[in-house]
Amino acid sequence: MEKHIVSQFDSDLEAIQAHILKMGGLVEMAISEAMRAFVQKDTELAQSVRAQDSAIDALEELINEDAARVIALRAPTAVDLRIILSVIKVSANLERIGDYAKNLAKRTGVLIQMNEIEDASNALRRLAREVELMLKDALDAYVQRDVALAEDIISRDNDVDQMYNGLFRQFITFMMEDPRNITGCMHLHFMAKNIERMGDHVTSIAEQVIFIVTGELPSEPRDKADETSSFKA
Amino acid sequence: MLDAAEKTPAVINPKIFARGLNVFYGKKQAVFDVDLDVIDRSVTSLIGPSGCGKSTFLRCLNRMNDTITSCSVNGSIIFDGQEIAEYDPVYLRSRIGMVFQKPNPFPKSIYDNVAYGPRIHGMVRNKGELDDLVEDALRKGAMWDEVKDRLDSVGTGLSGGQQQRLCIARAIATKPEVLLMDEPCSALDPIATAQIEELIHELRKNFCVIIVTHSMQQAARVSENTAFFHLGNLVEFGATQKIFTNPDDPRTESYITGRIG
Ligand SMILES: Nc1ncnc2c1ncn2[C@@H]1O[C@H](COP(=O)(O)OP(=O)(O)OP(=O)(O)O)[C@@H](O)[C@H]1O
Ligand SMILES: [Mg+2]
Repeated sequence: MEKHIVSQFDSDLEAIQAHILKMGGLVEMAISEAMRAFVQKDTELAQSVRAQDSAIDALEELINEDAARVIALRAPTAVDLRIILSVIKVSANLERIGDYAKNLAKRTGVLIQMNEIEDASNALRRLAREVELMLKDALDAYVQRDVALAEDIISRDNDVDQMYNGLFRQFITFMMEDPRNITGCMHLHFMAKNIERMGDHVTSIAEQVIFIVTGELPSEPRDKADETSSFKA
Repeated sequence: MLDAAEKTPAVINPKIFARGLNVFYGKKQAVFDVDLDVIDRSVTSLIGPSGCGKSTFLRCLNRMNDTITSCSVNGSIIFDGQEIAEYDPVYLRSRIGMVFQKPNPFPKSIYDNVAYGPRIHGMVRNKGELDDLVEDALRKGAMWDEVKDRLDSVGTGLSGGQQQRLCIARAIATKPEVLLMDEPCSALDPIATAQIEELIHELRKNFCVIIVTHSMQQAARVSENTAFFHLGNLVEFGATQKIFTNPDDPRTESYITGRIG
Protein backbone atom coordinates (compact mmCIF):
# COMPACT_ATOMS: atom_id res chain seq x y z
CA MET A 1 0.00 0.00 0.00
CA GLU A 2 1.11 3.57 -0.61
CA LYS A 3 2.60 5.50 2.28
CA HIS A 4 0.80 8.29 4.07
CA ILE A 5 2.10 11.81 3.62
CA VAL A 6 2.23 11.98 7.42
CA SER A 7 4.68 9.14 8.05
CA GLN A 8 3.78 8.96 11.74
CA PHE A 9 0.35 7.71 10.65
CA ASP A 10 2.02 4.73 8.96
CA SER A 11 4.10 4.03 12.06
CA ASP A 12 0.97 4.12 14.23
CA LEU A 13 -0.88 1.65 12.02
CA GLU A 14 2.15 -0.62 11.81
CA ALA A 15 2.62 -0.55 15.59
CA ILE A 16 -1.00 -1.50 16.24
CA GLN A 17 -0.86 -4.36 13.78
CA ALA A 18 2.39 -5.56 15.30
CA HIS A 19 0.54 -5.79 18.63
CA ILE A 20 -2.15 -7.90 16.94
CA LEU A 21 0.48 -10.30 15.67
CA LYS A 22 2.16 -10.50 19.05
CA MET A 23 -1.20 -11.18 20.65
CA GLY A 24 -1.94 -13.81 18.00
CA GLY A 25 1.38 -15.48 18.75
CA LEU A 26 0.60 -15.64 22.47
CA VAL A 27 -2.85 -17.07 21.78
CA GLU A 28 -1.46 -19.74 19.42
CA MET A 29 1.02 -20.70 22.11
CA ALA A 30 -1.73 -20.81 24.75
CA ILE A 31 -3.76 -23.30 22.68
CA SER A 32 -0.81 -25.53 21.89
CA GLU A 33 0.51 -25.53 25.45
CA ALA A 34 -2.94 -26.13 26.90
CA MET A 35 -3.26 -29.18 24.66
CA ARG A 36 0.29 -30.36 25.44
CA ALA A 37 -0.50 -30.07 29.15
CA PHE A 38 -3.65 -32.10 28.51
CA VAL A 39 -1.86 -34.87 26.58
CA GLN A 40 1.17 -35.04 28.85
CA LYS A 41 -0.89 -34.58 32.03
CA ASP A 42 1.38 -31.71 32.96
CA THR A 43 -0.24 -29.78 35.82
CA GLU A 44 2.52 -27.22 35.95
CA LEU A 45 2.23 -26.37 32.27
CA ALA A 46 -1.56 -26.10 32.60
CA GLN A 47 -1.04 -23.71 35.47
CA SER A 48 1.37 -21.57 33.47
CA VAL A 49 -1.10 -21.33 30.54
CA ARG A 50 -3.67 -19.97 32.98
CA ALA A 51 -1.18 -17.47 34.36
CA GLN A 52 -0.19 -16.22 30.90
CA ASP A 53 -3.70 -15.19 29.98
CA SER A 54 -3.29 -11.83 31.68
CA ALA A 55 -0.58 -10.90 29.15
CA ILE A 56 -3.11 -11.50 26.35
CA ASP A 57 -5.71 -9.36 28.11
CA ALA A 58 -3.18 -6.56 28.59
CA LEU A 59 -2.39 -6.56 24.87
CA GLU A 60 -6.06 -6.24 24.01
CA GLU A 61 -6.31 -3.23 26.26
CA LEU A 62 -3.21 -1.68 24.69
CA ILE A 63 -4.58 -2.23 21.18
CA ASN A 64 -7.88 -0.59 22.10
CA GLU A 65 -6.08 2.42 23.56
CA ASP A 66 -3.91 2.77 20.48
CA ALA A 67 -6.93 2.46 18.20
CA ALA A 68 -8.77 5.16 20.14
CA ARG A 69 -5.74 7.42 19.87
CA VAL A 70 -5.47 6.97 16.11
CA ILE A 71 -9.18 7.72 15.71
CA ALA A 72 -8.89 10.87 17.83
CA LEU A 73 -5.68 12.18 16.25
CA ARG A 74 -5.91 11.09 12.65
CA ALA A 75 -9.61 10.69 11.86
CA PRO A 76 -8.92 7.65 9.65
CA THR A 77 -11.02 7.11 6.53
CA ALA A 78 -11.58 4.30 4.04
CA VAL A 79 -9.01 1.51 4.30
CA ASP A 80 -7.37 3.16 7.32
CA LEU A 81 -10.70 3.25 9.10
CA ARG A 82 -11.31 -0.39 8.26
CA ILE A 83 -7.89 -1.35 9.61
CA ILE A 84 -8.64 0.43 12.88
CA LEU A 85 -12.10 -1.09 13.18
CA SER A 86 -10.61 -4.50 12.41
CA VAL A 87 -7.89 -4.33 15.07
CA ILE A 88 -10.54 -3.61 17.69
CA LYS A 89 -12.57 -6.58 16.53
CA VAL A 90 -9.68 -8.98 15.97
CA SER A 91 -8.12 -8.23 19.35
CA ALA A 92 -11.48 -9.00 20.98
CA ASN A 93 -11.62 -12.31 19.07
CA LEU A 94 -8.09 -13.18 20.15
CA GLU A 95 -8.88 -12.31 23.75
CA ARG A 96 -11.88 -14.69 23.69
CA ILE A 97 -9.78 -17.46 22.15
CA GLY A 98 -7.23 -16.88 24.87
CA ASP A 99 -9.98 -17.27 27.49
CA TYR A 100 -11.06 -20.57 25.97
CA ALA A 101 -7.43 -21.78 26.06
CA LYS A 102 -7.35 -20.83 29.72
CA ASN A 103 -10.52 -22.88 30.26
CA LEU A 104 -8.89 -25.85 28.53
CA ALA A 105 -5.98 -25.57 30.94
CA LYS A 106 -8.34 -25.32 33.91
CA ARG A 107 -10.21 -28.52 32.97
CA THR A 108 -6.94 -30.27 32.22
CA GLY A 109 -6.04 -29.69 35.84
CA VAL A 110 -9.21 -31.52 36.87
CA LEU A 111 -9.00 -34.28 34.26
CA ILE A 112 -5.49 -35.27 35.28
CA GLN A 113 -6.93 -36.69 38.49
CA MET A 114 -9.26 -39.04 36.55
CA ASN A 115 -9.15 -42.19 34.45
CA GLU A 116 -8.15 -41.50 30.89
CA ILE A 117 -10.69 -41.99 28.09
CA GLU A 118 -8.12 -42.70 25.39
CA ASP A 119 -10.02 -42.34 22.09
CA ALA A 120 -11.80 -39.21 23.23
CA SER A 121 -8.52 -37.54 24.13
CA ASN A 122 -7.07 -38.21 20.70
CA ALA A 123 -10.13 -36.86 18.94
CA LEU A 124 -10.01 -33.73 21.08
CA ARG A 125 -6.34 -33.24 20.14
CA ARG A 126 -7.18 -33.46 16.46
CA LEU A 127 -9.93 -30.87 16.87
CA ALA A 128 -7.58 -28.49 18.71
CA ARG A 129 -4.88 -29.05 16.10
CA GLU A 130 -7.27 -28.07 13.32
CA VAL A 131 -8.30 -24.85 15.08
CA GLU A 132 -4.67 -24.01 15.84
CA LEU A 133 -3.84 -24.29 12.14
CA MET A 134 -6.84 -22.17 11.23
CA LEU A 135 -5.66 -19.48 13.64
CA LYS A 136 -2.15 -19.56 12.23
CA ASP A 137 -3.56 -19.17 8.70
CA ALA A 138 -5.95 -16.42 9.84
CA LEU A 139 -3.03 -14.40 11.19
CA ASP A 140 -1.11 -14.99 7.95
CA ALA A 141 -4.16 -13.95 5.94
CA TYR A 142 -4.42 -10.85 8.11
CA VAL A 143 -0.82 -9.85 7.47
CA GLN A 144 -0.93 -10.67 3.76
CA ARG A 145 -4.46 -9.30 3.29
CA ASP A 146 -5.13 -12.65 1.60
CA VAL A 147 -8.84 -12.92 0.80
CA ALA A 148 -8.57 -16.38 -0.77
CA LEU A 149 -6.92 -17.79 2.34
CA ALA A 150 -9.52 -16.06 4.53
CA GLU A 151 -12.32 -17.65 2.53
CA ASP A 152 -10.63 -21.03 2.87
CA ILE A 153 -10.51 -20.60 6.66
CA ILE A 154 -14.19 -19.72 6.77
CA SER A 155 -15.05 -22.91 4.92
CA ARG A 156 -12.77 -24.99 7.15
CA ASP A 157 -14.78 -23.90 10.16
CA ASN A 158 -17.55 -26.18 8.86
CA ASP A 159 -15.16 -29.13 9.25
CA VAL A 160 -14.50 -28.07 12.82
CA ASP A 161 -18.23 -27.98 13.47
CA GLN A 162 -18.56 -31.46 11.96
CA MET A 163 -15.70 -32.78 14.08
CA TYR A 164 -17.30 -31.29 17.16
CA ASN A 165 -20.64 -32.93 16.34
CA GLY A 166 -18.85 -36.25 15.93
CA LEU A 167 -17.11 -35.85 19.28
CA PHE A 168 -20.38 -35.04 20.95
CA ARG A 169 -21.88 -38.32 19.73
CA GLN A 170 -18.78 -40.20 20.84
CA PHE A 171 -19.01 -38.75 24.35
CA ILE A 172 -22.66 -39.72 24.63
CA THR A 173 -21.76 -43.25 23.61
CA PHE A 174 -18.95 -43.48 26.18
CA MET A 175 -21.21 -42.19 28.89
CA MET A 176 -23.94 -44.67 28.03
CA GLU A 177 -21.47 -47.55 27.93
CA ASP A 178 -20.04 -46.85 31.35
CA PRO A 179 -21.50 -44.35 33.81
CA ARG A 180 -18.06 -44.00 35.42
CA ASN A 181 -17.09 -42.07 32.27
CA ILE A 182 -19.74 -39.44 32.83
CA THR A 183 -17.74 -36.87 34.82
CA GLY A 184 -14.69 -37.17 32.57
CA CYS A 185 -16.76 -37.00 29.40
CA MET A 186 -18.60 -33.93 30.66
CA HIS A 187 -15.28 -32.17 31.13
CA LEU A 188 -14.06 -33.34 27.73
CA HIS A 189 -17.27 -32.16 26.16
CA PHE A 190 -16.86 -28.67 27.62
CA MET A 191 -13.34 -28.63 26.25
CA ALA A 192 -14.58 -29.69 22.81
CA LYS A 193 -17.21 -26.96 22.93
CA ASN A 194 -14.53 -24.41 23.88
CA ILE A 195 -12.41 -25.45 20.91
CA GLU A 196 -15.40 -25.29 18.59
CA ARG A 197 -16.09 -21.74 19.82
CA MET A 198 -12.45 -20.83 19.16
CA GLY A 199 -13.09 -21.84 15.56
CA ASP A 200 -15.94 -19.33 15.39
CA HIS A 201 -13.67 -16.54 16.60
CA VAL A 202 -10.97 -17.52 14.11
CA THR A 203 -13.63 -17.38 11.41
CA SER A 204 -14.53 -13.89 12.54
CA ILE A 205 -10.87 -12.85 12.18
CA ALA A 206 -10.89 -14.24 8.64
CA GLU A 207 -14.02 -12.20 7.93
CA GLN A 208 -12.19 -9.06 9.08
CA VAL A 209 -9.50 -9.74 6.48
CA ILE A 210 -12.19 -9.72 3.81
CA PHE A 211 -13.64 -6.55 5.32
CA ILE A 212 -10.31 -4.70 5.22
CA VAL A 213 -9.69 -5.61 1.61
CA THR A 214 -13.16 -5.32 0.10
CA GLY A 215 -14.96 -3.01 2.52
CA GLU A 216 -17.68 -5.60 2.99
CA LEU A 217 -18.20 -8.50 5.30
CA PRO A 218 -18.91 -11.81 3.56
CA SER A 219 -22.64 -11.64 2.96
CA GLU A 220 -24.17 -15.09 3.24
CA PRO A 221 -24.59 -16.10 6.87
CA ARG A 222 -22.92 -19.42 7.55
CA ASP A 223 -25.36 -22.05 8.66
CA LYS A 224 -23.90 -23.44 11.81
CA ALA A 225 -23.43 -27.15 11.55
CA ASP A 226 -24.23 -27.71 15.20
CA GLU A 227 -26.63 -30.64 15.32
CA THR A 228 -26.14 -31.34 18.99
CA SER A 229 -29.21 -29.39 20.05
CA SER A 230 -31.41 -31.85 18.16
CA PHE A 231 -29.48 -34.91 19.27
CA LYS A 232 -31.53 -37.69 20.77
CA ALA A 233 -29.69 -40.26 22.80
CA MET B 1 -22.05 11.99 9.51
CA LEU B 2 -25.67 12.13 8.49
CA ASP B 3 -27.88 9.07 8.69
CA ALA B 4 -27.16 6.43 6.09
CA ALA B 5 -30.71 6.63 4.79
CA GLU B 6 -30.29 10.33 4.02
CA LYS B 7 -27.16 9.71 2.05
CA THR B 8 -28.18 7.74 -1.01
CA PRO B 9 -27.19 9.69 -4.08
CA ALA B 10 -30.33 10.38 -6.03
CA VAL B 11 -29.86 11.13 -9.68
CA ILE B 12 -33.57 11.52 -10.16
CA ASN B 13 -34.58 15.12 -10.81
CA PRO B 14 -31.28 16.91 -10.36
CA LYS B 15 -31.66 20.61 -9.53
CA ILE B 16 -28.67 21.41 -11.63
CA PHE B 17 -26.48 19.18 -13.75
CA ALA B 18 -23.46 19.31 -16.03
CA ARG B 19 -22.86 17.26 -19.15
CA GLY B 20 -19.56 17.07 -21.00
CA LEU B 21 -18.30 20.23 -19.34
CA ASN B 22 -14.86 21.47 -20.46
CA VAL B 23 -13.26 24.63 -19.18
CA PHE B 24 -10.16 26.34 -20.56
CA TYR B 25 -8.05 29.25 -19.41
CA GLY B 26 -6.59 30.35 -22.72
CA LYS B 27 -5.24 27.12 -24.23
CA LYS B 28 -4.85 25.39 -20.89
CA GLN B 29 -7.68 23.03 -20.03
CA ALA B 30 -8.71 23.09 -16.36
CA VAL B 31 -11.85 20.89 -16.36
CA PHE B 32 -12.27 17.80 -18.55
CA ASP B 33 -15.58 16.42 -19.75
CA VAL B 34 -17.40 16.53 -16.43
CA ASP B 35 -20.86 15.03 -15.94
CA LEU B 36 -22.35 15.75 -12.54
CA ASP B 37 -25.88 15.71 -11.15
CA VAL B 38 -26.69 17.78 -8.09
CA ILE B 39 -29.90 17.02 -6.28
CA ASP B 40 -32.10 19.59 -4.63
CA ARG B 41 -32.40 20.11 -0.88
CA SER B 42 -29.15 18.40 -0.10
CA VAL B 43 -25.50 19.26 0.33
CA THR B 44 -22.96 18.17 -2.26
CA SER B 45 -19.30 18.65 -1.54
CA LEU B 46 -16.50 19.00 -4.06
CA ILE B 47 -13.13 17.80 -2.84
CA GLY B 48 -9.72 17.27 -4.39
CA PRO B 49 -6.15 18.51 -4.34
CA SER B 50 -5.30 22.13 -4.94
CA GLY B 51 -5.61 23.13 -8.58
CA CYS B 52 -7.86 20.19 -9.56
CA GLY B 53 -10.59 22.50 -10.83
CA LYS B 54 -13.11 22.63 -7.98
CA SER B 55 -13.46 26.39 -7.94
CA THR B 56 -13.45 26.52 -11.72
CA PHE B 57 -16.28 24.01 -11.86
CA LEU B 58 -18.21 25.80 -9.12
CA ARG B 59 -17.88 29.16 -10.85
CA CYS B 60 -19.32 27.67 -14.06
CA LEU B 61 -22.58 26.91 -12.30
CA ASN B 62 -23.55 30.57 -11.95
CA ARG B 63 -21.47 31.80 -14.89
CA MET B 64 -18.96 33.62 -12.74
CA ASN B 65 -16.33 32.44 -15.22
CA ASP B 66 -17.92 34.75 -17.80
CA THR B 67 -16.15 37.55 -15.98
CA ILE B 68 -12.71 36.01 -16.64
CA THR B 69 -11.77 36.93 -20.19
CA SER B 70 -9.31 34.10 -20.81
CA CYS B 71 -11.86 31.55 -19.65
CA SER B 72 -13.94 29.58 -22.13
CA VAL B 73 -16.52 26.94 -21.32
CA ASN B 74 -18.14 24.30 -23.49
CA GLY B 75 -20.57 21.53 -22.72
CA SER B 76 -23.84 22.03 -21.02
CA ILE B 77 -25.18 22.99 -17.60
CA ILE B 78 -28.89 22.63 -17.06
CA PHE B 79 -30.51 24.49 -14.20
CA ASP B 80 -34.20 23.87 -13.61
CA GLY B 81 -34.49 22.27 -17.02
CA GLN B 82 -32.88 25.10 -18.95
CA GLU B 83 -29.36 25.79 -20.27
CA ILE B 84 -27.71 28.35 -17.99
CA ALA B 85 -26.34 30.11 -21.09
CA GLU B 86 -29.92 31.06 -21.91
CA TYR B 87 -30.46 32.86 -18.60
CA ASP B 88 -29.70 36.51 -18.02
CA PRO B 89 -26.49 36.21 -15.94
CA VAL B 90 -27.58 38.71 -13.29
CA TYR B 91 -30.89 36.94 -12.86
CA LEU B 92 -29.10 33.55 -12.84
CA ARG B 93 -26.85 34.72 -10.01
CA SER B 94 -29.84 35.80 -7.97
CA ARG B 95 -31.13 32.23 -8.19
CA ILE B 96 -27.73 30.64 -7.76
CA GLY B 97 -26.05 32.52 -4.93
CA MET B 98 -22.40 32.33 -4.04
CA VAL B 99 -20.38 32.59 -0.82
CA PHE B 100 -16.64 33.03 -1.06
CA GLN B 101 -13.66 31.83 0.89
CA LYS B 102 -12.97 35.18 2.51
CA PRO B 103 -15.98 36.92 4.02
CA ASN B 104 -16.53 39.98 1.85
CA PRO B 105 -19.32 42.14 3.28
CA PHE B 106 -19.85 45.53 1.68
CA PRO B 107 -18.57 48.47 3.76
CA LYS B 108 -22.16 49.30 4.59
CA SER B 109 -24.57 48.59 7.40
CA ILE B 110 -25.58 45.03 8.22
CA TYR B 111 -29.07 45.90 7.04
CA ASP B 112 -27.87 47.29 3.71
CA ASN B 113 -25.64 44.31 3.09
CA VAL B 114 -28.64 42.01 3.21
CA ALA B 115 -31.03 44.45 1.54
CA TYR B 116 -28.71 45.05 -1.42
CA GLY B 117 -29.79 42.09 -3.56
CA PRO B 118 -33.53 42.40 -3.03
CA ARG B 119 -33.30 46.11 -3.86
CA ILE B 120 -31.42 45.75 -7.13
CA HIS B 121 -33.66 42.88 -8.21
CA GLY B 122 -36.74 44.91 -7.33
CA MET B 123 -38.04 42.17 -5.11
CA VAL B 124 -39.88 44.40 -2.64
CA ARG B 125 -42.44 47.19 -2.92
CA ASN B 126 -41.96 48.97 0.40
CA LYS B 127 -39.81 49.30 3.52
CA GLY B 128 -42.01 46.91 5.49
CA GLU B 129 -41.51 44.09 2.99
CA LEU B 130 -37.78 44.78 2.89
CA ASP B 131 -37.57 44.66 6.69
CA ASP B 132 -39.28 41.30 6.69
CA LEU B 133 -37.00 39.97 4.00
CA VAL B 134 -33.87 41.14 5.80
CA GLU B 135 -35.03 39.59 9.06
CA ASP B 136 -35.89 36.33 7.33
CA ALA B 137 -32.49 36.16 5.62
CA LEU B 138 -30.63 36.95 8.83
CA ARG B 139 -32.62 34.27 10.64
CA LYS B 140 -31.81 31.73 7.95
CA GLY B 141 -28.21 32.87 8.24
CA ALA B 142 -28.39 32.01 11.95
CA MET B 143 -27.41 35.50 13.12
CA TRP B 144 -30.63 37.45 13.69
CA ASP B 145 -30.38 37.28 17.47
CA GLU B 146 -26.78 38.44 17.40
CA VAL B 147 -27.36 41.52 15.22
CA LYS B 148 -31.01 42.51 15.53
CA ASP B 149 -30.14 45.40 17.87
CA ARG B 150 -27.38 46.79 15.69
CA LEU B 151 -28.60 46.52 12.12
CA ASP B 152 -27.17 49.97 11.43
CA SER B 153 -23.59 49.16 12.33
CA VAL B 154 -21.17 48.30 9.56
CA GLY B 155 -20.91 44.69 8.40
CA THR B 156 -17.14 44.91 8.21
CA GLY B 157 -17.06 45.51 11.98
CA LEU B 158 -18.31 41.99 12.72
CA SER B 159 -16.07 39.04 13.62
CA GLY B 160 -14.90 36.83 10.76
CA GLY B 161 -17.43 34.11 11.52
CA GLN B 162 -20.25 36.66 11.80
CA GLN B 163 -19.14 38.29 8.54
CA GLN B 164 -19.30 34.93 6.80
CA ARG B 165 -22.79 34.29 8.12
CA LEU B 166 -23.73 37.80 7.01
CA CYS B 167 -22.49 36.91 3.53
CA ILE B 168 -24.58 33.76 3.60
CA ALA B 169 -27.60 35.83 4.71
CA ARG B 170 -26.85 38.26 1.88
CA ALA B 171 -26.76 35.38 -0.58
CA ILE B 172 -30.02 34.00 0.79
CA ALA B 173 -31.81 37.36 0.63
CA THR B 174 -32.49 37.12 -3.10
CA LYS B 175 -34.25 33.80 -2.40
CA PRO B 176 -31.93 31.67 -4.49
CA GLU B 177 -32.49 27.98 -4.99
CA VAL B 178 -28.86 26.99 -5.17
CA LEU B 179 -26.06 28.15 -2.87
CA LEU B 180 -22.46 27.78 -4.00
CA MET B 181 -19.81 27.99 -1.30
CA ASP B 182 -16.11 28.02 -2.06
CA GLU B 183 -14.21 27.05 1.09
CA PRO B 184 -16.53 29.13 3.27
CA CYS B 185 -14.77 28.17 6.51
CA SER B 186 -11.13 28.34 5.55
CA ALA B 187 -10.67 31.74 7.20
CA LEU B 188 -12.59 30.84 10.34
CA ASP B 189 -11.74 29.38 13.75
CA PRO B 190 -13.22 26.03 14.86
CA ILE B 191 -16.16 27.58 16.71
CA ALA B 192 -17.15 29.81 13.79
CA THR B 193 -16.61 26.83 11.50
CA ALA B 194 -18.93 24.69 13.61
CA GLN B 195 -21.56 27.46 13.46
CA ILE B 196 -21.31 27.61 9.66
CA GLU B 197 -21.55 23.84 9.46
CA GLU B 198 -24.61 23.89 11.66
CA LEU B 199 -26.04 26.56 9.37
CA ILE B 200 -25.30 24.49 6.27
CA HIS B 201 -27.09 21.60 7.91
CA GLU B 202 -30.15 23.85 8.27
CA LEU B 203 -29.84 25.31 4.78
CA ARG B 204 -30.13 21.92 3.14
CA LYS B 205 -33.80 21.83 4.11
CA ASN B 206 -34.53 24.73 1.76
CA PHE B 207 -31.64 24.93 -0.66
CA CYS B 208 -29.47 22.96 -2.97
CA VAL B 209 -26.03 23.56 -1.46
CA ILE B 210 -22.73 22.89 -3.22
CA ILE B 211 -19.62 23.39 -1.15
CA VAL B 212 -15.94 23.24 -2.01
CA THR B 213 -13.88 22.26 0.99
CA HIS B 214 -10.33 21.22 1.78
CA SER B 215 -11.44 19.65 5.03
CA MET B 216 -12.25 15.97 4.53
CA GLN B 217 -13.97 15.92 7.87
CA GLN B 218 -16.10 18.88 6.90
CA ALA B 219 -17.17 17.19 3.67
CA ALA B 220 -17.93 14.01 5.63
CA ARG B 221 -19.92 15.92 8.23
CA VAL B 222 -22.03 18.24 6.13
CA SER B 223 -22.71 16.57 2.81
CA GLU B 224 -24.91 13.80 1.51
CA ASN B 225 -22.93 13.43 -1.68
CA THR B 226 -19.31 14.00 -2.52
CA ALA B 227 -17.52 14.57 -5.81
CA PHE B 228 -13.79 13.96 -5.98
CA PHE B 229 -11.87 15.93 -8.62
CA HIS B 230 -8.33 15.16 -9.71
CA LEU B 231 -6.37 17.00 -12.42
CA GLY B 232 -9.56 18.50 -13.80
CA ASN B 233 -11.40 15.19 -14.00
CA LEU B 234 -14.35 14.12 -11.93
CA VAL B 235 -12.92 10.85 -10.64
CA GLU B 236 -15.69 9.66 -8.38
CA PHE B 237 -19.09 10.88 -7.31
CA GLY B 238 -21.36 9.19 -4.81
CA ALA B 239 -22.82 9.04 -1.35
CA THR B 240 -20.46 10.75 1.09
CA GLN B 241 -20.59 7.76 3.39
CA LYS B 242 -19.43 5.46 0.60
CA ILE B 243 -16.68 7.85 -0.55
CA PHE B 244 -15.27 8.10 2.96
CA THR B 245 -15.58 4.47 3.98
CA ASN B 246 -15.05 2.51 0.80
CA PRO B 247 -14.38 4.54 -2.34
CA ASP B 248 -14.25 2.73 -5.67
CA ASP B 249 -11.33 4.57 -7.26
CA PRO B 250 -7.79 4.16 -5.90
CA ARG B 251 -7.11 7.86 -6.53
CA THR B 252 -10.01 8.79 -4.25
CA GLU B 253 -8.73 6.36 -1.65
CA SER B 254 -5.21 7.83 -1.81
CA TYR B 255 -6.51 11.37 -1.46
CA ILE B 256 -8.93 10.90 1.41
CA THR B 257 -6.58 8.70 3.40
CA GLY B 258 -3.77 11.23 3.00
CA ARG B 259 -1.49 9.08 0.86
CA ILE B 260 0.70 10.34 -1.91
CA GLY B 261 -1.46 9.76 -4.96
N1 LIG C 1 -8.10 32.95 -13.65
C1 LIG C 1 -7.32 31.94 -14.04
N2 LIG C 1 -6.48 32.07 -15.07
C2 LIG C 1 -5.69 31.05 -15.49
N3 LIG C 1 -5.66 29.84 -14.92
C3 LIG C 1 -6.47 29.63 -13.87
C4 LIG C 1 -7.33 30.67 -13.37
N4 LIG C 1 -8.03 30.17 -12.34
C5 LIG C 1 -7.61 28.88 -12.17
N5 LIG C 1 -6.69 28.55 -13.09
C6 LIG C 1 -6.02 27.24 -13.24
O1 LIG C 1 -7.01 26.24 -13.42
C7 LIG C 1 -6.71 25.09 -12.66
C8 LIG C 1 -7.86 24.81 -11.69
O2 LIG C 1 -7.89 25.85 -10.72
P1 LIG C 1 -9.01 25.97 -9.62
O3 LIG C 1 -8.87 27.28 -8.97
O4 LIG C 1 -10.33 25.62 -10.19
O5 LIG C 1 -8.55 24.81 -8.63
P2 LIG C 1 -9.11 24.42 -7.20
O6 LIG C 1 -9.41 22.97 -7.24
O7 LIG C 1 -10.20 25.33 -6.79
O8 LIG C 1 -7.83 24.64 -6.28
P3 LIG C 1 -7.72 25.19 -4.77
O9 LIG C 1 -8.10 24.02 -3.93
O10 LIG C 1 -6.27 25.52 -4.62
O11 LIG C 1 -8.64 26.35 -4.63
C9 LIG C 1 -5.38 25.36 -11.99
O12 LIG C 1 -4.38 24.78 -12.76
C10 LIG C 1 -5.29 26.87 -11.98
O13 LIG C 1 -3.94 27.27 -12.04
MG1 LIG D 1 -10.41 26.81 -5.24
